[in-house]
Amino acid sequence: MMEIIESKHWIEWIITIAKFAFAFVPILFILLLIPMERRGAGFIQDRQGPNRSYIKIPYFGRIRLFGWVQNACDGTKLFFKEMFAPAGVNKWIYMLAPAIPFAIVLISPCVIPWFAPMVFEFGGQVIKIPGMTVDTEVGILLLFGLSSLSAYGAVLAGWASKSKFSLLGGLRTSAMTISYEVCLGLCLMGMLLLAGTFRIDEIIAWQDANVWGIVAQPVAFFCFLIAMIAETGRAPFDVAEGEPELVAGFHTEYGAMQFGLFYMGEYSHIGINSILVACLFLGGYSIPFVSMETVQSNLGISLGVLCGVCAVAVLAFLHLLYRYARWYKTCKASNKEVILREYSLYKILGWCAVVVFAVLGVLSAVFIHPEVQMVNGEAVYGIGVALGTALIQILVLLVKAVFFCWVWIWVRWTLPRFRYDHVMHLGWKILLNIAILNLVVTAIAAKLLGGN
Amino acid sequence: MVRQVKQKPMNWVERLYVFEALRGLFTTLKHALRGLLRYETLPTVPYPEMKPEIPRNYRARHRLMLRPDGTPRCVACGMCAAACPAHCIYIEAAETEDPRIEKAPARFDIDHLVCVFCGLCVEACPVDALRMDTCETSYVHPKRDDFVAPMFDLMTWDPKTYPQNDSQSQMAPGGTLNQQALDAWGMKVN
Amino acid sequence: MSNYYNMPKLPTENSPKVEIFVDDKAVMVPGDTNLLEALKAVGIETPHVCYHPYLPVSGNCRQCLVEQEGPRGRMLVIACYTPVSPSMKIYTPASSERVKNARKATQEFMLVNHPLDCPICDKAGECTLQENYMEAGQNESRMRPEYGKNYHGNPAHQFIDSKGQVRGGKHVDIGPRIVLDEERCVQCDRCVRFMRSIAGDEQLQLASRADHTYITTFPGEKLDHEYDLCVTDICPTGAMTAKHFRFQKRVWLLSRTPSISMDDSLGANIWIDHAEGKVWRLMPRCNPEVNRSWLSNTSRLAYQNFQKNRLPAGDIDSLKSVLAKEGKVALVAGGSCTIEDLTALKLLAEKLGERAEIFTGSFAPVLPADGIAKSGDPVANRAGMKLLGLPTGNLEELLKRAGEFSILLSVHCDLFENAEAAKTLETIPEKIALSAFDDATAKAATIPFGVNHWSEVKGTMVNCNGMLQKLSAAPTSPDSNLRPAFSVLAELAGISLSCACEAFAMAGKNAEVLSGYTYETIRSTGVMLDGVQL
Repeated sequence: MMEIIESKHWIEWIITIAKFAFAFVPILFILLLIPMERRGAGFIQDRQGPNRSYIKIPYFGRIRLFGWVQNACDGTKLFFKEMFAPAGVNKWIYMLAPAIPFAIVLISPCVIPWFAPMVFEFGGQVIKIPGMTVDTEVGILLLFGLSSLSAYGAVLAGWASKSKFSLLGGLRTSAMTISYEVCLGLCLMGMLLLAGTFRIDEIIAWQDANVWGIVAQPVAFFCFLIAMIAETGRAPFDVAEGEPELVAGFHTEYGAMQFGLFYMGEYSHIGINSILVACLFLGGYSIPFVSMETVQSNLGISLGVLCGVCAVAVLAFLHLLYRYARWYKTCKASNKEVILREYSLYKILGWCAVVVFAVLGVLSAVFIHPEVQMVNGEAVYGIGVALGTALIQILVLLVKAVFFCWVWIWVRWTLPRFRYDHVMHLGWKILLNIAILNLVVTAIAAKLLGGN
Repeated sequence: MVRQVKQKPMNWVERLYVFEALRGLFTTLKHALRGLLRYETLPTVPYPEMKPEIPRNYRARHRLMLRPDGTPRCVACGMCAAACPAHCIYIEAAETEDPRIEKAPARFDIDHLVCVFCGLCVEACPVDALRMDTCETSYVHPKRDDFVAPMFDLMTWDPKTYPQNDSQSQMAPGGTLNQQALDAWGMKVN
Repeated sequence: MSNYYNMPKLPTENSPKVEIFVDDKAVMVPGDTNLLEALKAVGIETPHVCYHPYLPVSGNCRQCLVEQEGPRGRMLVIACYTPVSPSMKIYTPASSERVKNARKATQEFMLVNHPLDCPICDKAGECTLQENYMEAGQNESRMRPEYGKNYHGNPAHQFIDSKGQVRGGKHVDIGPRIVLDEERCVQCDRCVRFMRSIAGDEQLQLASRADHTYITTFPGEKLDHEYDLCVTDICPTGAMTAKHFRFQKRVWLLSRTPSISMDDSLGANIWIDHAEGKVWRLMPRCNPEVNRSWLSNTSRLAYQNFQKNRLPAGDIDSLKSVLAKEGKVALVAGGSCTIEDLTALKLLAEKLGERAEIFTGSFAPVLPADGIAKSGDPVANRAGMKLLGLPTGNLEELLKRAGEFSILLSVHCDLFENAEAAKTLETIPEKIALSAFDDATAKAATIPFGVNHWSEVKGTMVNCNGMLQKLSAAPTSPDSNLRPAFSVLAELAGISLSCACEAFAMAGKNAEVLSGYTYETIRSTGVMLDGVQL
């Protein structure tokens, strides 16, 4: 026991344990995704989207947070609803089914690298910490294995509900998940072939060293994206649900937080998949045209730039806010006083944030000058530099993932729904063939160009 | 008669679906950005706080036009009730004291729960007594019976809320042309 | 006086057929009638305003113009006053543009000063002018609005309206039941001819001349006659309107049920005009052999009481228990009992056997027939009672022998209206009244039992001329629990009758002459029963 503990430095232990917190990142994505989906759908359809829920605070009155409060309301509602099961179901399976996709969501991110392997000097030792929670050679295969398990949730839910709608929905979901898993794997094979590894951090490193996956494997990227959307079972591939045929599919008979778990599982799944796509094809945490060494050696300026970007983003938000406020002042809405007062809070917070970011940026650019040590011919920095770099890299990865989340929503509200046989046709007869062709071509090209 | 609609056959680029899907994505992106960046141009409005501008020719709640002396212009002919496809108009006629007016409604009810707002009653009215230009599109009542608008409710409207060029409305009591119309009507109220 | 015209000769079944040429096509028409009726017999309708088959022909409206080939070429003649002659050549608007234009022009001319009152006119919907107008197709007015309509009627009723137009005579109170609108009058003089030739009391007259002609009464007199409401029926426009129906209901909202007026033994044929479960008016139904197109005011205004003062449906078990008691039973049938009611009453009497005795009739006096639409006998179905072998008019006997009976069952018979009868019959301990109304008998009865009024039942009656006529049920019963009297009586007799037709079939067993008929074979104008001794 002590040997295991002593095999690592205590700082290494702390960081390793802290990495488990990344398991909750996909769940945090729900907080972002649901409002984005709702209001995004609203805007795409020239509507307002839900924006009515509010929190009442002193002085500023009703705070709507642009519809963000709706999340809390929905969650609260689902949480306090009565949990019930249809008569005659197997209660254990019925209760267990929603937990499966949600549990998988918690486990899946363990192989995703959130930052490049940290190398730093601490207490006279050079410490190396990988970017993922579970440092394994299996890498992406584990992720695929886990996400395939979510089909069990659907199948069990469908079977346990004792409803024909649910059963058919569950069957369709599992059929589709399995079909598109094949495509998913084959699309990825080209990328794995090029990088020569299953480890995602190495794939990212390959991309950083060579070229992003989206450029190296555009066809694979495209097929992968389609297969990913299909695997999450969202429009245009939402064949498992459908009001006229299957009601709500496998979760027809679920209510309250049981339904909530399915719902959260679906959105978290989107989050994970977004991160995965970002990792595999968009260079993950790597910043384009800027190598990690550059960032580390100029950490102060890098953090300064980061703060600057944040400040600009907040300024853009403030600009929008001022535009809305100007419009509200002239419009005939009877509640415009309330809204303008709410906006005044955002303005105050926004300006505060701009000032804070500006000050932080300037301070870090002026005062942070990392000290470099040469160990075995490599430049090794202190722990502060390592953590700062990791912060930048996590943010970069999340920005890329959020973009893909938007793609998910965007596609859902644009494309019409496919019929079930069309989905199967597309999966087995088109995407699979393209994926195999892509793999063959990649293999030949890799061999000819003398890769690994 | 069966009308054959000829569809333009898709060319191979369109049949590939991919490019058309991308075009669709571009379209929706335009709309999404419009909602985000030019929020004020959204065609929908936050309803109870902001009400859409309802044009005068919108078929809204009914009203009964008034003579200069404030009596309803309706002659209780029942044309509106006859034209009504939903049978929501109920009229009872009566004789009047005024020798120049032969027939007047004693009762004129419109059941707004039954009404389909087709406007045929307005078309049918031979004396322009019934109009649907009140721009009142939503009315809430606690009881079903309250949705049956009696004659008094239909007659209660303010000429000031109607445009000046609507001379027929302005002839009603309180309107700008009322005095003039009263003189012509020969019933000076003093 | 030249104002007396000839009655039109109407075609009958025995009319000789002659061949005439209509639009150059040979057709066989009745030979002893006028051209208008002859054309109607072959299905060609000719628009007309002043002509009425039961009124003398005056031929003043000129609406029924047709072209006739004559020695001087094709001439326009009026169809209503031209007798049919063999092989005459007639041209209708179907082939002749001239006829079409002439009719159109006549129509237009008639409407020059006719007000645009249709929306508020009670005649709208059944107006001859409207029908002709739609047929002539003169859909666009050639009137210049700056001239407007003009009023040329009685100068005493003239006024100028707010638009500066000369108008007048909008509601002239011409009599206790009629309102005259002089603007709408087209001077067809149908009402004048009706009062002169049919009613026999010349109360209406055309006054003044040319386009200033107007209808009026003699100075100081009113239009007040037992048949004066008929002028509102025959008036082709809304000039004559009845006060009782004025502004009550638009006519297109009314549904019509053909029936028989059961307050007189002539059995005038009527339309029951009802809407929303309410009778709004009774209209005469044309039957050439009974009442032609006429209906007396008494019969016509009877509808006002149809739904007032009605008796609620009673409990039939109490009736059964009363009839099960000992003692003689007097069964009294009133005048408005249908054949079915009488049959059921007879069945009840048969069931009760020796202790039952049937009395029929009414205490109301029998008046002389007026020769128009009333026979004067208040017992409407007296002939039917005779036919079924029931005694008729033996109520006096009932009064004499009132002490014998311990149970009195009256059907549609207001015995207690007569004070003397009431005093005598009060001594009978059990009094059952099957009545539609809560009348004196029902009030005096120990068990009043509400039944359907005759306007709400299906049935038959035989009028004083031996004509079997059919009543139809108007859906105007105030209470859905009410049943027809025959159904109640049959149940008391222990026979279940599911419909009136079964009761009528039962009647056929009692009266041989009825056995050949069913409701389907009785025509709407009735059938004359052969060999009936009345």
